[in-house]
Amino acid sequence: MNITTIKEKISEILTAILEHTNFELHDELTAKDVDGWDSLSHMMIITKIEEEFGIRFKLRDLNKLKNMGSLITLIQSKL
Amino acid sequence: MDLILTIQKSIEEHKDHNAFCIRHTYYTYEVFGKIISGIRYKIQKSVDASGHIIGLVTNDDIYTYASIIALWLEGKAYVPLHPDFPENRNQLIIEQAEIHTILDSSQHQTFANCSTITTDKVSCSTIDIASKEVSSDDLAYIFFTSGTTGTPKGVPITFDNLTAFIDAFWALEYSITSNDRCLQMFELTFDLSVLSYLAPLLKGACVYTIPKDEIKYSYIFELMEDYELTFALMVPSILQYLRPYFDEIDCPAMKFSLFCGEALPLDITEEWSRCVPNATIANVYGPTECTIFCTDYTYKRTEPNKAYNGILTIGKDMKNTKTIIIDEDYNEVPVGEKGELCLSGGQLTPGYWKNEKKNKSTFFFKEYNNEQIKFYKTGDLCTVDEDGDILYLGRVDFQAKIQGYRVELSEIEYHARAALQKINAVAIAFTNKIQNTEIGLAIESKTFDTSELLNGLKKSLPQYMIPTQIKFIDTFPLNTNGKTDRNKIKEQFL
Repeated sequence: MNITTIKEKISEILTAILEHTNFELHDELTAKDVDGWDSLSHMMIITKIEEEFGIRFKLRDLNKLKNMGSLITLIQSKL
Repeated sequence: MDLILTIQKSIEEHKDHNAFCIRHTYYTYEVFGKIISGIRYKIQKSVDASGHIIGLVTNDDIYTYASIIALWLEGKAYVPLHPDFPENRNQLIIEQAEIHTILDSSQHQTFANCSTITTDKVSCSTIDIASKEVSSDDLAYIFFTSGTTGTPKGVPITFDNLTAFIDAFWALEYSITSNDRCLQMFELTFDLSVLSYLAPLLKGACVYTIPKDEIKYSYIFELMEDYELTFALMVPSILQYLRPYFDEIDCPAMKFSLFCGEALPLDITEEWSRCVPNATIANVYGPTECTIFCTDYTYKRTEPNKAYNGILTIGKDMKNTKTIIIDEDYNEVPVGEKGELCLSGGQLTPGYWKNEKKNKSTFFFKEYNNEQIKFYKTGDLCTVDEDGDILYLGRVDFQAKIQGYRVELSEIEYHARAALQKINAVAIAFTNKIQNTEIGLAIESKTFDTSELLNGLKKSLPQYMIPTQIKFIDTFPLNTNGKTDRNKIKEQFL
């Protein structure tokens, strides 16, 4: 799956859970930059990503997610 | 004051040991002692002797922890103020506690209308941590908890209370030494934080904190594995979050794994015990009013454990606490009968802060062993068995009356969780449009057909206990103390 498709899917997931589109998916984007992305919605976003991409994160993976770039790299490595 | 003296000695004796690990940075007891000394000088300069109650902005940094010890050396109490709490709530606390001075390590002053002592980067070239004369009735802290009327109520805890707690805690023999590595996962506005930093500091051990911008449960797991933590006090909700990953967790270094703050389900404890194969697991219980916790049960790995509706027993009262269970007329109930748990003893707060009305309704005197003793009503519904182990049944106010019948919501939850297997569920009593009490069931899951679940419930519960409304919530909200936020869930039914 190419990066553009991954980004599109992530964007759809964020929109569905956070109920807004006020974000731009660049590599340096962090949860702090996005309204409503707190520890609770984080858990929901992670679960939804696992579902949509058909992958399973390790607990340890979750701490490595420092920004959007690392999330995309992680998803790629699991596909 | 012996407790403060013990802190002083511990700092002096363990200078080259690590006291804190915050964001992967270590701070030795020597560095900690110097920061305490610097902050205490600032307090001496800016606060006159009459100012006993000082606000503390609860950041996750070494200066905030040092501020607590610096205040205690000066015989002053701290009132934690969470910078992310609504401003109105913090203002109510500042006014109620009559706070004039606030210690703040933030880059920008958090409270503009109070005199602020900046503690960021404060230090001192020498260590000066000899305590002033501190009386045992002096306050160590006041924690504000949510009040039913919307105004937070203050729970003052004296050095005497704290000393009684620490004495009773060591008597449990969940021993900590200067080689231990201990988790501190709580916001400083939650009193479980006090055990989590104080017990290690008294023994020269190292405290590991959770940065506020990290995802708590996964960060805890990483600390446990990477730093081989040996002691951890957690709320059971963390286990609910970690449960899908239990097969990845193996922490043989953990010696003591304690749980407090919420009902601890037996089945999840059994699963957790395999993640911490060498640890003593304990369920401790207690309200802020009785200083951190006051009853204790050690989980048995090889024998059956006592539980009620799937909830592990909270065990027996600790060394300095006396517990009784009473009926509505304040009479002790016989063994095996249900009633409200009441506490008394050296850990019990002198009473709510400037709240005579609440004190009258919550505290009472009762003759016990030929003595008039002050007791505190916990609002927790309990029963005690022949061995003296206390079983937690739920909140007195979780008890709902449905069509005249008394209903314990925890009982519905127990059956719902059993039927749902590993899915979490919470039962809520709410008042519907026609002012009748209805039972709602919130399920932590995506939507699914519930006819099978309801048919199953009907087999174990009478009709009046069957939930009449079901909501699905992807992830249950937690309150700032990390517990499942039942009030927020309840809003979904209103």
